[in-house]
Amino acid sequence: MHKLGRGHRDKLQQFMAITGSSEKVALQALKASDWHLESAFDIFYSQPQIRGVVDTRHLEELYNRYKDNYADMILVDGISLLCNDLQVEPDDIVMLVLSWHMKAATMCEFSKQEFFTGLQALGVDSVGKLREKIPLMRAELKDEYKFREIYNFAFGWAKEKGQKSLALDTAIGMWQLLFAEKNWPLVDHWCQFLQAKHNKAISRDTWSQLLEFAKTIDPSLSNYDAEGAWPYLIDEFVEYLVENGIVQNLS
Amino acid sequence: MAMHERKTIDLEQGWEFMQKGITKLKNILEGLPESQFSSEDYMMLYTTIYNMCTQKPPHDYSQQLYDKYRESFEEYINATVLPSLREKHDEFMLRELVKRWSNHKVMVRWLSRFFHYLDRYFIARRSLPALNEVGLTCFRNLVYQEINGKVRDAVISLIDQEREGEQIDRALLKNVLDIFVEIGLGSMDCYENDFEAAMLKDTAAYYSRKASNWILEDSCPDYMLKAEECLKREKDRVSHYLHSSSEQKLLEKVQHELLFVYASQLLEKEHSGCHALLRDDKVDDLSRMYRLFCRIPRGLEPVSQIFKQHVTTEGTALVKQAEDAASNKKAEKKDVVGLQEQVFVRKVIELHDKYLAYVNDCFQNHSLFHKALKEAFEVFCNKGVAGSSSAELLATFCDNILKKGGSEKLSDEAIEETLEKVVKLLAYISDKDLFAEFYRKKLARRLLFDKSANDDHERSILTKLKQQCGGQFTSKMEGMVTDLTLARENQSSFEEYLNSNAHANPGIDLTVTVLTTGFWPSYKTFDLNLPAEMVKCVEVFKEFYQTKTKHRKLTWIYSLGTCNINGKFEPKTMELIVTTYQASALLLFNASDRLSYSEIMAQLNLTDDDVVRLLHSLSCAKYKILNKEPNTKNILPTDYFEFNSKFTDKMRRIKIPLPPVDEKKKVIEDVDKDRRYAIDASIVRIMKSRKVLGHQQLVMECVEQLGRMFKPDFKAIKKRIEDLITRDYLERDKDNPNTYRYLA
Repeated sequence: MHKLGRGHRDKLQQFMAITGSSEKVALQALKASDWHLESAFDIFYSQPQIRGVVDTRHLEELYNRYKDNYADMILVDGISLLCNDLQVEPDDIVMLVLSWHMKAATMCEFSKQEFFTGLQALGVDSVGKLREKIPLMRAELKDEYKFREIYNFAFGWAKEKGQKSLALDTAIGMWQLLFAEKNWPLVDHWCQFLQAKHNKAISRDTWSQLLEFAKTIDPSLSNYDAEGAWPYLIDEFVEYLVENGIVQNLS
Repeated sequence: MAMHERKTIDLEQGWEFMQKGITKLKNILEGLPESQFSSEDYMMLYTTIYNMCTQKPPHDYSQQLYDKYRESFEEYINATVLPSLREKHDEFMLRELVKRWSNHKVMVRWLSRFFHYLDRYFIARRSLPALNEVGLTCFRNLVYQEINGKVRDAVISLIDQEREGEQIDRALLKNVLDIFVEIGLGSMDCYENDFEAAMLKDTAAYYSRKASNWILEDSCPDYMLKAEECLKREKDRVSHYLHSSSEQKLLEKVQHELLFVYASQLLEKEHSGCHALLRDDKVDDLSRMYRLFCRIPRGLEPVSQIFKQHVTTEGTALVKQAEDAASNKKAEKKDVVGLQEQVFVRKVIELHDKYLAYVNDCFQNHSLFHKALKEAFEVFCNKGVAGSSSAELLATFCDNILKKGGSEKLSDEAIEETLEKVVKLLAYISDKDLFAEFYRKKLARRLLFDKSANDDHERSILTKLKQQCGGQFTSKMEGMVTDLTLARENQSSFEEYLNSNAHANPGIDLTVTVLTTGFWPSYKTFDLNLPAEMVKCVEVFKEFYQTKTKHRKLTWIYSLGTCNINGKFEPKTMELIVTTYQASALLLFNASDRLSYSEIMAQLNLTDDDVVRLLHSLSCAKYKILNKEPNTKNILPTDYFEFNSKFTDKMRRIKIPLPPVDEKKKVIEDVDKDRRYAIDASIVRIMKSRKVLGHQQLVMECVEQLGRMFKPDFKAIKKRIEDLITRDYLERDKDNPNTYRYLA
């Protein structure tokens, strides 16, 4: 059934010897991690569901259900269908979390590889099982650490291929989606400020620092330090808030 | 003489003999008639003591004699000295004391000689106080202890009398105070504790009283005169009768009361304080102020602060003045730096001369005042006048001095001196890079259009700039000057080439200045469609240049060219000196009589701005070589032009000026771009060596590195840091976003 190269066979043996798992499970874990032993262990131990639950044949069927007619990936139509099957709106934040699990490179696209690894990592091989996972994925947004990962993942996911920065409209859409989870009271002001004063794409640094800003600086800006290393766009945002009387003068 | 033969002397008998000697001594001291001691008397007395001390016990009377020695003093003091002192007062008491003390010293000297044998054995063996010391101690314990308070008061009251201008007996005071020193037997405790402390206290009180009146009544200069006089007198006083160790303490007290206490009140006096002195150029008073205030702790700081304020105000007034003058004549060309601004720079130089002289003379070159002067100039030198930065003004000022027929007519020495001062002023300007850029633009004009008046001056100011701002600052400018020298050589070899290659000669005189791209400001290139005649010239030169070098590329800047052309007008033929642009436009009319705006523009391949400018110079300005239809003052795209064959002028040769485009905006943009590179380079340099660095430190080091050329704005630095993050030169530390890491 398996025609493995010598290197891969060695890794498989090693993996089975250490984890005591079956060949099938071992193979799944190694394939999911692209034959990196270390990450295969991570997958094996962190997601116990993997053990024997996922059936590659089912995944294959599932993938074919959504696959685009002309390319070997899932594109917009497939994703709409998937959303339909999962009974969520395409702009539901849970789709971002799902994409994060799949390590998807771009918005509205899943490659076969991404689809397989993602679902294997989640330990599901049917729409029904995936739907059951949705509350779990929503809960992941509440986790500080995971939220940050998802937030930073969102930048690369949402930006145009080949671009270094994120188009402003997309960025604003993503922020509204993401900060709805965090209840950051300044998010609307931030978006208004960008539209009025900036009107340019957003750099990765500004993107990631904004989350830090939202998390560490309280909405009255009492602990904001103008001498700090905040990106200049955030400094200008603070000036904007003060100038427009949204926040009272900093003492 | 054998010992056993000697007869034993008992105490009473021996002492009786001694008593006679002592009484005689006392009589001498009291001035009673008495014969002097003969050496025989002395010998007898000494021998008696010797014998009484060397007898075998129990007849060794050393201890008894030692006691009696002291008792003799005590008895004399109690019986004679004290009563005589007690009945006298004040100065008389002082005189008596001096006399008594000197008598006492004589008595000690004599008696200790009589009893000298005690010193040699008895005292030495038992480590007792020596005879001399015992004698002096008696005086101290009995006389000094009783009356030192009275003496002190009397002395102080005499000093106060002298301070009030009375004559006193200084010698007496000197003698009295010597007692305080001598009585300490080598230690200054008596002088310091029993006299000096009270004297200092009294001095403080005295001057505190004086100062509180003077500060109300006197003007600041008068007060300072008095203070200086007082200090001089007190110093004098020390040299005449106080102990030299008192000088420092005494002067400190006086300075404290007269100056320190009232320092700010004195400096701030409304019509005569430091401000007023500066305003009225009271150089002597200011020097005095420096002399006085440099003595008190932190005394100069407020003075230098006021000095700084004053200079800032004066300078700011100059800025305001120039600003007003500029806005009054705004109707005229407002972007061209005019005479007013020229005057402004002159005035700033004068201001600097004046106050630098103050710092050097009145304030004795003190660093605090140099700093104040620098800070004051930095404030208003960076303000700029009527939209022109001071960097631009200084560059224009230099240009006016260095160019032919500039507005300043000066001798060579005066030019050198002025240039020196301009360079000094440059130190106060934070945008040195902006100055360099403007200077380079102007220098290029001077060199290329042969407007520079004197090569030596050009080189000399570059040397001065190099000294002050470093080699990097002037390297391009020096390159420009060198380029021009090379260009002249090049031109002569080009002419030789033409002479030896007759077939190549285009029939038009051509001068080409070859420049090195990096040194010169950037210009537009290859924009103009050259007329055929000139294309030929260019080809010929290219051929010539190929023979000299292989790997160099020539780029032609027509916008900098000039042409001399002959205009065949009906009245007479005239020589026109025009720019290459103008010449190209005029030559178009050799082929057609009448051309539309758009035809001209298409044939010349120039932008609207350039076409409007040059057509305006040919048809709407002083010399109307072209007739315009309709005949208005402005050039419109619908206009038509025709050669004006009727044109004439009383001269045979005329120069038709083409006003230069305003380059200010471009210069500022260029500088801005250069700054971005400079900040990038600086950040990368710092991070390369430090690898990991906090935001604030990075910003600080960056400002420090670049401060020599310009003051980078924090926001600009921040933007550059973010740009470098985007370009993967840096990253933020994962755990601390205030810290950056260098990505090699």
